[in-house]
Amino acid sequence: MKRRKLDVKQLPAKAAGELDDRFQLASPVRKLLTKVFPDHWSFLLGEIALFSFIVLLLTGTFLALFFDPSMTEVHYDGSYAPLKGIEMSKAYESSLSLSFDVRGGLILRQMHHWAALLFMAAIVVHMGRTFFTGAFRKPRETNWIIGVLLFWLGFGEGFIGYSLPDDALSGTGLRIASGITESVPLIGSWASFALFGGEFPGDSVIPMFYILHVFLLPGILLSLIGVHVGLVFMQKHTQWPGPHRTEHNVVGFRMFPNYVSKQGGFFMLVFAVIALMGGLFQINPVWMFGPYKAEVVSAGSQPDWYVMFLDGLVRLFPAWEIREFGFTIPAVFWPGVVGMGIFTMLPLLYPFIERRLTKDKGHHNLLQRPRDMPARTGVGVMSLAFFVICTLSGANDIIADKFSISLNAMTWAGRIGLLVIPPLAYLATYRICLGLQQHDREVLAHGVETGIIKRDAEGRFYEVHQPLAEPDEHGHTHLEYNGWTVPKKMNRLGALAPTLKGFFKPIEKPAEKPAVEPGEDREEITAGKN
Amino acid sequence: MTVAATSRPPRRRFRRLGKVLRFIAALSLVGAIYTAFAPGIYADEPKGFTAEDIAKGKAIFDQSCITCHGNNAQGVDDRGPSLIGVGPAAVEFQVNTGRMPMARQEAQAERKTPMFTPEEAYFLAAYIDSLGGGPAVPKGVDLNDLSNADVATGGTLFRVNCSSCHAFSTGGGALSSGKYAPSLFPATPTEIYQAMLTGPQNMPVFADNQLTPEQKRDLIAYIKYIQNDQAQGGWDLGAFGPSTEGLAIFLVGIVALAVATLWIAGKS
Amino acid sequence: MSKEATPGDAEPIDVMDPKTTQYELVKEALRRDGIEILHYEPRYEPGSKEEKRVERTIAFFFALTGLGALGFIVTYIWWPYEYEFGGADVMSKWYTPMLGLCLGVALAGLGLGVLTWAKKLLPKEEMIQERHDGASEPEDRKLAGAVLAGVGGDIGIHRRPLLKRALLFGAAPLGLAALMPIGGLIKDPKNDLFETGFNKKFNNGKPVRLMREDGTLVRPEDVSVGGQITVFPAIPGGASLKHADSPTLLIHLREADAEEARKNAYVMNQGSQWQNFIAYSKICTHVGCPASLYEQQTNRLLCPCHQSQFHITDNAKPIFGPATRSLPQLPLDVDEEGYLYATEDYKVAIGPAFWEREKK
Repeated sequence: MKRRKLDVKQLPAKAAGELDDRFQLASPVRKLLTKVFPDHWSFLLGEIALFSFIVLLLTGTFLALFFDPSMTEVHYDGSYAPLKGIEMSKAYESSLSLSFDVRGGLILRQMHHWAALLFMAAIVVHMGRTFFTGAFRKPRETNWIIGVLLFWLGFGEGFIGYSLPDDALSGTGLRIASGITESVPLIGSWASFALFGGEFPGDSVIPMFYILHVFLLPGILLSLIGVHVGLVFMQKHTQWPGPHRTEHNVVGFRMFPNYVSKQGGFFMLVFAVIALMGGLFQINPVWMFGPYKAEVVSAGSQPDWYVMFLDGLVRLFPAWEIREFGFTIPAVFWPGVVGMGIFTMLPLLYPFIERRLTKDKGHHNLLQRPRDMPARTGVGVMSLAFFVICTLSGANDIIADKFSISLNAMTWAGRIGLLVIPPLAYLATYRICLGLQQHDREVLAHGVETGIIKRDAEGRFYEVHQPLAEPDEHGHTHLEYNGWTVPKKMNRLGALAPTLKGFFKPIEKPAEKPAVEPGEDREEITAGKN
Repeated sequence: MTVAATSRPPRRRFRRLGKVLRFIAALSLVGAIYTAFAPGIYADEPKGFTAEDIAKGKAIFDQSCITCHGNNAQGVDDRGPSLIGVGPAAVEFQVNTGRMPMARQEAQAERKTPMFTPEEAYFLAAYIDSLGGGPAVPKGVDLNDLSNADVATGGTLFRVNCSSCHAFSTGGGALSSGKYAPSLFPATPTEIYQAMLTGPQNMPVFADNQLTPEQKRDLIAYIKYIQNDQAQGGWDLGAFGPSTEGLAIFLVGIVALAVATLWIAGKS
Repeated sequence: MSKEATPGDAEPIDVMDPKTTQYELVKEALRRDGIEILHYEPRYEPGSKEEKRVERTIAFFFALTGLGALGFIVTYIWWPYEYEFGGADVMSKWYTPMLGLCLGVALAGLGLGVLTWAKKLLPKEEMIQERHDGASEPEDRKLAGAVLAGVGGDIGIHRRPLLKRALLFGAAPLGLAALMPIGGLIKDPKNDLFETGFNKKFNNGKPVRLMREDGTLVRPEDVSVGGQITVFPAIPGGASLKHADSPTLLIHLREADAEEARKNAYVMNQGSQWQNFIAYSKICTHVGCPASLYEQQTNRLLCPCHQSQFHITDNAKPIFGPATRSLPQLPLDVDEEGYLYATEDYKVAIGPAFWEREKK
């Protein structure tokens, strides 16, 4: 009895020993366990995308069990009365049966769709964080490029997934895609015929999209995400400047237990938000749209939000068609193909453009506060303004209808806004950044505004300032600005002080002999190895 | 896939051809029966307005409508069109949905609380009908009980003819230069029927020769079906499609998770 | 202030000494990984009231997880899930929301529990680790370069121009050959983009009649003044996706509007109207959505996808939005049996433009 009990207690240590005998793991495992990660809320935004991707893989696998990517025509015979007997493709029929006749099918379909929207939203937010803090600078340009590619792959994967149910709304989207494909000079009609296996809609596009959607694109996405995360791990995460923090160290907590438990907990929260949205909010009710027919369309037809900026740009672009020598370059070619090319290349090249302009060739591990790089922040806000106007224009008919604005006025507002607002956004941002910088310097020189107004003997009113250091005879403190957060309120004063150094209290009392307790196998391995 | 594709079309073509032939045969038959037994639907069937109704209608007209529509409803330039020949359905639709009388001259008259009771609207309709006839909802069409209508046929007709303006959700949509197709949620079956019959404002006319009363009933049954069917899979976010879904992912998803990141990385 | 971590400061200890405490061993492990402990402190006195309270909170969250998961299972199995028509009182309408709620509570409970554990029970710690990034040591670079140069030398491609060319000659076609299988997708568009189902070739050389989506043929009296219907070529599969380029909008104009349309007609469109009936392709010339929002008073046709607007009484020419070309008009006539038919196919390619569009 006693012998057995001892065995169980020592089992982890023993197993670890056996593993180490074979794979020499002690040292690499220790290094992994102790790796230090910096901590900041904005470093968790990319994880939202990562975790949504995992949810996408899980829910997508479930959907694949029931979805039939076939364009064969069948007559619907499921439980949704308004479509009984209607002729439709098998793909659409199986989407309906997933929604109505498969137990729990609807929530998984909805979770899959919400997770896709969240994946793209998190990518954009994470990209913004990386951009505005200068985290893309050397040595991290590669990861920035991979990130931009991930956005576009997600864009394609999402659009294809949205097309798979073969309903009337997604069919309209496909029709537009075929129109944009046809617009490419010289090869347009050939490319469209290759994509659709003949004249639109053909009968091969859904099966082809299916294999792209469940195999090829997820494979590429998964491997790129692997490289993306692997590079963050290898190059170590950037950190904000602050006490003890330099270009040559990382200040934070260890991978185990802090980092991993926070990541695990956050994954569960992301998963929970997707589950709640999937259950409580309807998304893409395909049964309302009916099967795709070339003559069917709905007012307010839109793509998913991350495609909406392209749709908006196509809506706003003027009717400029080039017809020369008997050949045509349609208007949609410019926003739909050239525009997308520019939107891909500019962000891809941005790190190198900035490097060239600033002549900053250094190696950077410390982040920059957006206010300290007014030009970059201005460019970022400008691009964001452009993106938002395009996206809103992608829903301009809904906005026009629900807010009683003329549709034509919305289009013109978008056209003018697209040209006027981004430059204004740049100028305003630039000025705000300079203002914030100046205020930082002021606080460093004069101290924090306390809000206490005093009146001196001569009757003058003045505000009392709390200096951040010992002031000189003129009441000025001489503190260098070094990229840290400057406290602006009295209760933020501690932010500048360095963490007190010291190993205050060991978590447990020193043991009398080398501990052999469950959960401490890592020491055991190290000891066994030496 | 390719194998299936190459082997399919001939079969389908024959099936389709057969279907078309069967359809044509069936429809000729139905048409023949219709002409034999119900000629009234296409003809101007007696609408049963009494002289008293017409007189009451004229009294109301002369008080409330004459400013814009003129003496004897002949119309006034730049104010209101002639109403001669528009028919009782148009009058009842416009008055019962509150669109007429118009509050002010604008791109489009909007639905509001009606100024007249249904009875007064009936009198007005009688008066306008007396000036020159026009379409009315046929007597024999039962719009109160739609349970025997075919919602699947109605759905197909809705998607071909209606969804382009009124949207899949029947919630309405924008037209050019400030005009719009209204939401069909507040519309009663009779109002929908009358609207199809008369084509109010910019809506095209779908007279009874174009969509038979039977088809119109199917259509109305479909509209009411999806409106009364509680949304599947949770709240429909107003059923505006991907634009509200995109808004939701930022306002709910991203905001909730950003708050979570602040809490996770916050000092405790 | 920004002093770097200097793990070298600490004295190396004898790891194998049985007297060494676990705490000393951890510190030594961290030192070897270039980590300096800035701050490490348990948050609560072990066994203290505060600690117990946090433990109870975490236990509550985990209990929520259990309850949520059980609720999910029970809902999944026993809640009615089959679709029924009806309002909020129909149980099956709540199946998906219930599943989402239970699953959400279960996952959120687990997440909050684990996160509270991490935030409240794990000791506060702050550590500094050296980065060791940037370029390799010059010595390593030189050695690696030499090895690479050696490999190149061994292969000696630069000394063997014949092999270089031969390899290129061999590899390039192989690369192209690998692309060939994709060629199976390539299909000659031929005339497909210029023809619709109204082409006489689909009807044994005879003109094609118009039909509705259910297969009924169309007579002029089927469309009332100010009305419009969607028509298709009356050929087998004419309303199916095989002829997705054929949907056509047939409009019965008012007398005055029809007169205006006739007056405005381009040379190409002259005689295409039949009395007051006019038919335009429903496929938008911008990117191909069905442009079908017909405003019967203003005679505008709106495309709901990108808001192009066409003027029906003026050759359906675009008057607003991104579309550049008029909707093609279908030449109409009525045969001796009283059915509308297309005297011939559209005279230009319908739908979105493409490079060789004007070839026809």
